Amino acid sequence: MTAPADPLGGFVWPAEGDSRAPYWIYLDQGIYRREIERIFEGPTWSYAGLECELPNPGDWKRSTIGEKSVLIVRGKDGVVRGFLNKCAHRGVKLCEEHTGSGEEFMCPYHQWVYDLEGKLMGLPFRRGVKGKGGMPDDFDLSEHGLTPIRVHVRTGAIFATLHADTPDFESYLGETILGFYDRIFSGRKLKLLGYQRQRLAANWKLMLENIKDTCHASLLHVFFVTFGLFRVDNPSKVRMDETGLHTGLVSERGQQELTDGTRQMASFQQHLALQDPRLLDTVREFPGDATVIMHTIWPNLILQQQSNTLATRQIVPRGPGEFDLHWTFFGYEDEPEELTQRRLRQANLMGPAGLVSMDDGEIMIRAQEGMAVDARSAGVIEMGGRDYDNADHMVTDVALRAFYRGYRKVMGL
Amino acid sequence: MSGDLQRELEDLFAHYAEVIDDGDLERWPEFFTDPSLYRIVSKENWDKKLPMSLMRCESMGMLKDRAFASQKLNVYGPRAWRHFVSQIRARVEGDRIVARSNFVLYETLIEHQPQVLCLGRYLDVLVRQEGKLLFAERICVYDNAIIPGSIVLPV
Repeated sequence: MTAPADPLGGFVWPAEGDSRAPYWIYLDQGIYRREIERIFEGPTWSYAGLECELPNPGDWKRSTIGEKSVLIVRGKDGVVRGFLNKCAHRGVKLCEEHTGSGEEFMCPYHQWVYDLEGKLMGLPFRRGVKGKGGMPDDFDLSEHGLTPIRVHVRTGAIFATLHADTPDFESYLGETILGFYDRIFSGRKLKLLGYQRQRLAANWKLMLENIKDTCHASLLHVFFVTFGLFRVDNPSKVRMDETGLHTGLVSERGQQELTDGTRQMASFQQHLALQDPRLLDTVREFPGDATVIMHTIWPNLILQQQSNTLATRQIVPRGPGEFDLHWTFFGYEDEPEELTQRRLRQANLMGPAGLVSMDDGEIMIRAQEGMAVDARSAGVIEMGGRDYDNADHMVTDVALRAFYRGYRKVMGL
Repeated sequence: MSGDLQRELEDLFAHYAEVIDDGDLERWPEFFTDPSLYRIVSKENWDKKLPMSLMRCESMGMLKDRAFASQKLNVYGPRAWRHFVSQIRARVEGDRIVARSNFVLYETLIEHQPQVLCLGRYLDVLVRQEGKLLFAERICVYDNAIIPGSIVLPV
């Protein structure tokens, strides 16, 4: 079967290339369907959860890969497995709670029962009742288990893929990003602190862009700048993998050198000191100078160390104009209670009510509304030039250009 | 609980909601003792005894910082908020009053239908200082797992 000549209704990527992001990629249903097929159901590793959410055999969590509801289950053998969240009989959603624990899964409709490895253990009336009815003699339980999906666990975090040809996780991340990953997921046991969940009326890519867009932090987030948590002249680095789809943004809290610009900012800050400084009272807990590392791991994960706030943000697309964002906050099992308290306080900056993150949620919605005004125009991505090289400052859109170069390749655009 | 106290709580809770809905956020900290505990928590975290909040203030300073940031620093679109508080039930425990009530918070964005932003329970501990009832604790436990958009003000 040949593809239709013009599957995208005449949309053509702007001649300027990766320094433009046309608005139809955020709005068009055809593009969205292709994203689901090629990205979320393609050869990618999606973040599915943390091991500390299912510490014991029989524990499970419901997660979402692309648009598909999945179950992540710890078996009696301690192994983490993944399944589509539906009964093999008539498709009923098996688990409704976010997390749970048990010896088996039973679908309430006709009581098909599965073990923790997804095998169908039995079903009522299989041999009929008083010699009548029942399943055919050749019905084979082993052919009607839950649909398994590939899962990979690496030092505390769980990833899953719906595609058979997804490369191994370590090659998928690449050396640079794996280095950042291992800094947070170092093998220390994680402690689950809780969730925040929100639904945003914006395209899912805007969330990844928001993190890769390094300039906005010192402009949009007045709170950040006012209270000295982030300044555009902080020593910073933008690091990408070969595909350009994963990014690590590293920044250090600066020495507040008294240049003209920072002197002005410093007086601004004096004027607007926090009434209770504990909100931003951070401690260094990782080796090295970085105080913030924001990772975007293609296609659905933001992994953040924002001072003492450690969190994953899982993106669940819901059509071109909507996505859910699931925040999972964590610390380490062996950390002092005092550090946990810092994390809980600093979390005021994050999530749907975050002193910083609410700006992002709001601006994404506003971007989505603005782009719909003219789907055939395009965003300009030229800060820092038109190249794709790692940068040692934040005044650049390089991570966005690299991202759209990688995205176009995957999408054939 | 006496009818007088019931009426006092009804008036206080209505006043609290009014201050937020009217945008007089600088008056919001005045409802609390110092220190105090103000939290917005999902039912999910609450039920699982996970300590994460959506918003958490532990002192007059933190309440004032939040009020200031919400009014002057954060960037969000224009909206109207309307609290509905009901079923206030309280008991006196020594010099404290422990109260529970239900809330619904509607948010109306420009050119959108009003929507329920969150809905849940207030779990309160109040004390009387200089004749005035103040929140030593106000924990807002909301039922809806997913917040539509953002919560840009205190609940």
